Amino acid sequence: MRSFKDHNPISVFVFYIFAIVPAMFCINPVLMCISLAGGVSFRLAKDGLGALKKMLPFFAFPLLGVILNPLFVHKGVTPLFILNNNPVTLEAVLFGLTLGAMICSTVIWFSSFNSIMTTDKLLYVFGSVSPKIALILSMTLRYIPLYGQQIKKVRQAQIVTGLYKEDNAIDKIRGGLRIMSVMVSWALENGIITADSMSARGYGAGRRSRFTIFGWRTADVALAVLCAALGVVTSVCMGIGHLAFEWYPEIVSPGMSAPAVTAYIAYALLCAIPTVLQIREEARWRSLQSEI
Amino acid sequence: MEILTVRDLSFKYSLGDKDAISGISFGVEEGAFVAVCGPTGCGKSTLLRMLKKELIPMGDIKGEVLLDGVPLSEIDARTSASAVGFVMQRPEHQIVTDKVWHELAFGLENLGLPQDVIRRRVSEIASYFDIEDWFERDVADLSGGQKQLLNLASIMVMQPRLLILDEPTSQLDPIAASDFIATVRKLNTDMGLTVIMVEHRLQEVIPAASMLMIMDKGTLLHYGPARQVCEEVSDRPDLLAAMPSTVRLFKAMGGQGRCPLTIGEGRRWVEGFGCKVQPDFKAFDAARDETPDNDVPALEFSDVWFRYGRDLHDVLRGTTFSVEQGEVFCILGGNGSGKTTCLGAAAGLNKPYSGTVKVFGKNVRDYKNQTLYRNCLTMLPQDVQTVFLKNTVREELKDAGESAAALPYDIESLMDKHPYDLSGGEQQLVALAKVLASQPRILLLDEPTKGIDTYSSERISGILRSLAEGGMTIVLVTHDVEFASRTADRCAMFFRGEVTSVGRPREFFSENNFYTTAVNRMTRGSFKGCVTLEDAVYALKLQDQELSAVEG
Repeated sequence: MRSFKDHNPISVFVFYIFAIVPAMFCINPVLMCISLAGGVSFRLAKDGLGALKKMLPFFAFPLLGVILNPLFVHKGVTPLFILNNNPVTLEAVLFGLTLGAMICSTVIWFSSFNSIMTTDKLLYVFGSVSPKIALILSMTLRYIPLYGQQIKKVRQAQIVTGLYKEDNAIDKIRGGLRIMSVMVSWALENGIITADSMSARGYGAGRRSRFTIFGWRTADVALAVLCAALGVVTSVCMGIGHLAFEWYPEIVSPGMSAPAVTAYIAYALLCAIPTVLQIREEARWRSLQSEI
Repeated sequence: MEILTVRDLSFKYSLGDKDAISGISFGVEEGAFVAVCGPTGCGKSTLLRMLKKELIPMGDIKGEVLLDGVPLSEIDARTSASAVGFVMQRPEHQIVTDKVWHELAFGLENLGLPQDVIRRRVSEIASYFDIEDWFERDVADLSGGQKQLLNLASIMVMQPRLLILDEPTSQLDPIAASDFIATVRKLNTDMGLTVIMVEHRLQEVIPAASMLMIMDKGTLLHYGPARQVCEEVSDRPDLLAAMPSTVRLFKAMGGQGRCPLTIGEGRRWVEGFGCKVQPDFKAFDAARDETPDNDVPALEFSDVWFRYGRDLHDVLRGTTFSVEQGEVFCILGGNGSGKTTCLGAAAGLNKPYSGTVKVFGKNVRDYKNQTLYRNCLTMLPQDVQTVFLKNTVREELKDAGESAAALPYDIESLMDKHPYDLSGGEQQLVALAKVLASQPRILLLDEPTKGIDTYSSERISGILRSLAEGGMTIVLVTHDVEFASRTADRCAMFFRGEVTSVGRPREFFSENNFYTTAVNRMTRGSFKGCVTLEDAVYALKLQDQELSAVEG
């Protein structure tokens, strides 16, 4: 059974791009509400009610926006009250709220992105550009823990052999430099073995192909195409419909023009995709489970 | 049909002054299992590299190497990459990518095979090697044995016809090593894969090998069916040291008749001596039996509990033991039983959450500002490369403030070499020299014989004995039962974070059934308490004398 997170990482990546990026360039309360609703409902569908507690701190952003923006921005025609000889305006408060909501929804989308897109999936997405980049990224990820372990071992060896002082800060810096220099020769020395191992297995013998454990099924293609289509429709309509609000000096809404409505509907459908897929899979699983 | 033919092959490294190998000729039949051995520096590794086109080092080559009758130089890159597989010594550094599945696919990607072919071959090999469970894991999380198995699998996935292995098990513990050798053996018998393997664990390899090759000083000394070579090999100590215990005992007893290769054959061969007289081994133990007379133990663990993290499980679980001053104390035990952790606790690296570790009667915690490591206690880590910081052995010793003349052994010939260029045994000796500079009273050693040939390990054993006679206390962790039986005053068995038994080597090993020396397993039915080669030679000679006395 495949829920949203089990689809091909490229499809998932396409979704996140269109869910997060357009909304970031358009401070529009309707889009913010849709984005926030989509992000929150997906986390709830994926992780259950416990996720609510984890998301709670993110809602400090709209609150901060409401408090901080009017303190620094005094534009706007509707003063609410005067603070320190400066007017606090309704426009500044509402802009702060919307901006805070945007940051909040972005962070919530990223929280699910992080748990779904593990390093190997990201590697697959960026490695799609070329097999060479894929290999370089993979080797880098291999070497980070390997070097980390070796540095720890060398450090311990220096302590227990009792040959070097570690009495003050200068000794410690010296110790660090010693480790640095020994790591360079260690890496070069053992890099030769890796290079041998690579050429022994035919590296450089010709054009490389690329193997991944992620495949493309019809559902993956459909998901990617759907996300891209909805995303493009949203973006284009945003462009022609001038969806961005004018906030200062007076709030001017773009109104419910045809492109605006299309954009809202398309974006709402897009943001609902992961939640719908998640709930559908769970329902299917439950009905299948009852037959086992 | 010969798959590999080597004709009059000589090779000189471009920076070398003499031939690394010279005038070597031999042929390998398809499906053969060739074990190669010889003392350190005899040219085995060079010879193996000459057989794999991609790994031929820079230098002058004379003679030729034919694969299926075609010279290596005429084979195209893709065929050569897949036809000959090569596994090296260090499991860690042969791995190229970060995920197990990617490592398996790496070679096939290099050949530019399409995705579905790679998928089929990778899944096939993963199930043959039984690595489905860790297929999606990070390679960094694998054990040494798993890493080496992965290296083998990622070469077998390319479907080689000839598999070359250069001391593949030297960095593995005995259990992982026998698993690895068993897998290679299975490939040889199941698939008819031709194998050429350099190994120093000959006790396990020789029964599997159809052919045995012995090299010395760059030339081929012996090459033929394994048993025949074992019977023919000369009595030179450095050559014999590499041989299995069965063969060494056979040679020590004059080398007449059919040479036993496996433990089972060895047992029947020993029984053939009649074995009527029980030998008395007291004379052998005289030097090691005296209990040192001092009131404060050098190292004392009492009820020590330790774990690496709050939420992790206990590694040391009430560890209790004490080591007398001036004794050699060997800790044996399986992988993950906590041996190395225990050594770390003695060195003050791992801080127990309960219980005390005392060094010369003083809690390790109370040694402030590294006083523990000043003329008191020092530890040689398992990976001795971590101790080396300089470009030559000479600078290395100077850095430590040690002069080569003050050492109880001779490393003069190594002085101008880079520490990384030395053999495993030589590295161990240089690292030991470095830590001896701090004039420790307690020396802790973690697997001092890992990756070392038997000849060097016997040398290290002698050095440690003489250090102990000079009053130094030595605590070592090892998997190597042969080494422990030769070196220890007392042995301890470590199991699940506890010391479960302690004893003098003779009683300790005679009571163990599995964790004991090859000689003990061979003589178990005939004699009591026969542990080392010297014991067995003494016991068997006694039977001979008895026989001739009766006949006379």
